[in-house]
Amino acid sequence: MVKIQFYSLLRMLLKQEKLELPPCENENIERLLQRLQQQITIPFIHKLLNEKGEMFPGTIIMINRRNIHHLEKLETRVHDGDVIALFPPGAGG
Amino acid sequence: MSATERYNRQILHWGQERQQKLEAATVLVAGVGGLGATVSQLLTRAGIGKLYLVDDGLVNWSDLNRQLLYHETDIGLPKLVIAKQRLQQINSSVKIELLPKRIDRSFQSPVDVSIIADCLDNYPSRFDLEAGLVAGSFLIHGGIEGDQGQVLTLRKGKSQPLADIFTGIRKPQGEIPVTGAGAAILAGFMVNELFNTIFGQPQLLDRFLIIGLSDLHLTFLEV
Repeated sequence: MVKIQFYSLLRMLLKQEKLELPPCENENIERLLQRLQQQITIPFIHKLLNEKGEMFPGTIIMINRRNIHHLEKLETRVHDGDVIALFPPGAGG
Repeated sequence: MSATERYNRQILHWGQERQQKLEAATVLVAGVGGLGATVSQLLTRAGIGKLYLVDDGLVNWSDLNRQLLYHETDIGLPKLVIAKQRLQQINSSVKIELLPKRIDRSFQSPVDVSIIADCLDNYPSRFDLEAGLVAGSFLIHGGIEGDQGQVLTLRKGKSQPLADIFTGIRKPQGEIPVTGAGAAILAGFMVNELFNTIFGQPQLLDRFLIIGLSDLHLTFLEV
């Protein structure tokens, strides 16, 4: 299974902490998010991606503790057992 | 008035040995605003040995809802000057050094600092702060926005850099919403972790504590 964890505003929006999906062959982060949106009735993907499918700069997407910007961004492949974290951090001080 | 009398209530909690560690410790507080004004005040009240304060801002009206060191009569004055004055009124035994500047690529941490509180309000300065730290230093990061916030401890040279964790993140356009209660709660968690780190037992090393203020949830995220 692929575990997707929601933090802070996303957790509050979706009213859940995590969701598990069975892995799909050759799936990347972008397609996983689209599949995730189909599983959840509350719209959330517009908080992460713009209309062109590009990432907004307000949310960290991590796979197994690593920011996907250091991997292949939205093209990063997802495998069975991976843990995906979606975390929009607070910016102020 | 003896130190034992002054710090009696917290010595009852953590003991004399930890109080001595606190009085021997030096912490740099980067940013003396919503988080930093309360972080520096709680450290001062607890009897920290020495504080470095870094900021280049002036007190504005919009600071007064949450920046607990400043008053109406301070509007337009340098935050650091006022902060030092108020902190020394609270506890004159704490040594306070001022670094009145904006943290940029030229920043280098003083050599006697190994514990740093990131109370900044933008990511580029946070990354420059981290870059200027001595290897092995502990960076306690705090951030708040609206009804959410996070605290994280990293060790320079051993943990993932903050700049790697936050790659791709930008400060939202315009003013960041922050309430006085939210800033005080986050600052309290930061100081609790600063104490843990001074005592040699950081609890948030390489893991975020993420705080939801509206639904009162606490979660961890390993990094």
